[in-house]
Amino acid sequence: MADIAKVSGAQVAAGAWIDGVQSAEFKTLIDTKRRSIVPMIVTYVVGYIGLSILAGFGRGILGTKVLGSVNLGFVLIAGNYVMSWVLAIVYARISTNRHDPLLKVVVDKARAAGGP
Amino acid sequence: MNLITIAMFAAILLISLGITAWAARRTRTTVDFYAAGKGLTAAQNGFALAGDWCSAAAFLGFTGLTALYGMDGALYAVGPLVAFCTVLLLIAEPLRNTGTYTIGDVIMYRMRQPPALAAAIVGTIVINLAYLIPQMAGGGILIKLLFGIRYDVSVILVGCGMIIYVAAGGMLATSWVQIIKAVLMLGAGAIILLLALAGVGFDPLVLFASAEATAGPNFLLPGNLLKNPFDEVSLGLGYMLGLAGLPHVMTRFYTVPDAVTARRSVIWVMFLAGAFFAGTTIFGLAAVHYLGPEALRVGNPGGNLTLPLLAQYLGGGKDTVGGQLMLGFVSAVAVATILAVVAGLTLATSGAVANDLYVNLLRKGKVEERQQVLVARITAVLVGIVATLLGIMAEGVNVAVLVILAICIAASANFPVIVLSLFWRRFNTGGVVGGMALGLVSSVGLALIGPAYLGPNAIWPLVNPTVVALPLGILGAVFGSLLAGRDHEHEKRFGEVTFRIQTGLRSNQT
Repeated sequence: MADIAKVSGAQVAAGAWIDGVQSAEFKTLIDTKRRSIVPMIVTYVVGYIGLSILAGFGRGILGTKVLGSVNLGFVLIAGNYVMSWVLAIVYARISTNRHDPLLKVVVDKARAAGGP
Repeated sequence: MNLITIAMFAAILLISLGITAWAARRTRTTVDFYAAGKGLTAAQNGFALAGDWCSAAAFLGFTGLTALYGMDGALYAVGPLVAFCTVLLLIAEPLRNTGTYTIGDVIMYRMRQPPALAAAIVGTIVINLAYLIPQMAGGGILIKLLFGIRYDVSVILVGCGMIIYVAAGGMLATSWVQIIKAVLMLGAGAIILLLALAGVGFDPLVLFASAEATAGPNFLLPGNLLKNPFDEVSLGLGYMLGLAGLPHVMTRFYTVPDAVTARRSVIWVMFLAGAFFAGTTIFGLAAVHYLGPEALRVGNPGGNLTLPLLAQYLGGGKDTVGGQLMLGFVSAVAVATILAVVAGLTLATSGAVANDLYVNLLRKGKVEERQQVLVARITAVLVGIVATLLGIMAEGVNVAVLVILAICIAASANFPVIVLSLFWRRFNTGGVVGGMALGLVSSVGLALIGPAYLGPNAIWPLVNPTVVALPLGILGAVFGSLLAGRDHEHEKRFGEVTFRIQTGLRSNQT
C-alpha cells in the first residue's frame, strides 16, 4: 500500500483505493448527505438564533401570554427542546437508512482496491 | 453538615477510587490513556458525555439562574442541548474519523505544518484553563458551603481527587467516573422533579402562575439577567457553536470504536442531558413556588444553593431525615460532578501538552509508546497542580467571566478552525493561525474590558463578546488562508482528507 504520509511536497502517490474519492458512488454519498444535513442545520439555526434574537429585541413579543402564566417565550423554549430531539431522531434514521448503505458501497470498493 | 451527607460523599469517593484502581491496571498504552482503548459503547459514551455536559455550572447554576432571573435561566438551559445539533450534524463523525486523541491531531492531519499545530495547542490550553479555573473555584466555594472546610483546603481536595483519577486511570477512569456521576445526577433530578410536581398535582402551570405571582410580573420575561439585548444573541451564538468547540467534550468521540457509535452516543446525550436541562427550568420555578423568592436571595451566592435547598424542602424540611437525606444526596452528587468535570478537563489539557506539544511538535512523533504514557501521566499531575494553584488564587475573583470567556474562545477561535479544516478546500496553516489569533485576542480583549470584569466602569458594553468575536474569528481564518497564498499540493490532498472524513479509512502512516 502506498504511503500517503510522505506526499507533502511531491506528487500524490496514494494507493488506488484513494481514487474512490473521485468515484460516482462517493459523489452520491456526499450529495445525499448534503441534501439532508443542510436543511437540518438551517432549521435549528433559524429556530434557536431566532429565539435568542427575540429574547434580546422582542421582549414584548415573548411576553405574550399563551396558556395561563406561560408566555410565548417559554413555548418557544419548549419548542427548541422538541426541535432538537426531533432532529436527533430524524438524523439518526436518515443516516442509518440512507447514508450508511451508500457509505458501505464506497468503503467496500476502496477495500477491494487495496485500501486499509 | 450531617452524617448522612458525609456517608454519601464517602461512598461516592470510595466507588470512584475503586474504579480508578481498576482502570489503572488496564491503562498501559496511549490509546488506553487518552481514549479508553476506543472501547466504549454508544450508551456508555452518551452517559459520559452527559456527565461532561452537566457541569456544576449547569446542575446547580441553571436551577439557580431560573429561580433568581426567570426566563433568562431557561434560555441558559436550552442552549447546551441545541449545541448538540451542531455536534451531531457537523462535528462528531468527521472528528472520530480524522483524529486520534486530540483536536491538535485533526489540525495536524489536515495541515501538516508545525505553526498550525502550535495554534491548536494554544487554543486548547487557553480554553481548558479558562474553563478549569472557575470549576475549581466553584468546587472550592461549594465544598466550603456544604462541609464548612476552608476554601483553599477544599480546592486542594478537588485537585488531589482529579489528579488521582486522571494520572492513574486516564480516560477509562475519567469516563466511568462521569458515567456514575451522570446516573446519580439523573436519578437525583428525576426524584426532585417527581416530588416538585407531586406538590402541585402534576400541573406545571401552577408553578408558572405561582412564580409570576410571588416574584413579580416581569419575572417570566427575558432580560432580567442579560440586560443588553446583544448579550442574549451572544449567549445563543456562543452556545450553539462554542460548546461544539470545547476540547474536553470533543475528545470524548475518540473513546468509541467508529463513527456510527460516535453518532449514536450523541443521540444518547441529547436525550439524557436535554431532559435534565429541561428539568432545571422546572426546578428553578419550583424553588420560587415552595421556598419563595426572598428565601432564595439569602446566603445563596449566584443561586448555586437553590437546588440543594429545594431538595431539602421536598425531602420534608430542614429537621427531618428525608430532608437531610435529599440534601446529602444532592450535595454529594454536586461534589462528584465537580470532580468528574475537572478530571475531564485535566485529561484534555494533558493531551494537548503531552501528545500535541511534546510528542508531535517538539519530538516529531519520535517517542516510544511507554515513554508517551509516562509523559502523559506526569503532564496530568503537573496540569492538576497548576489548576489547583490557579483555583486557590481565584478566590474572590469574579470567575463567571472565565466561563463566558472559555465558551466565547471556543466559539470564536476553535470552532471556525475545526469546521474549516474539515470542510474547506482552501483552508491552510495561515488560516488556522489567523483564525485562532483573531478569535482568541478579540474574545480575551473584549471580555477583559467588559462589565463582567470591570463592572460599572466597563469600556465595552457586553458581558459576552461572542457576537463580535465570532465574526472576527471567521474573518481571521478566511483572510489568513487567502493571504497565505495557494498551495496546490495541499488543496489537492483535500480529496484524500474528505475521503477519510467521510469513510474513516486511513493509511497506516497518518
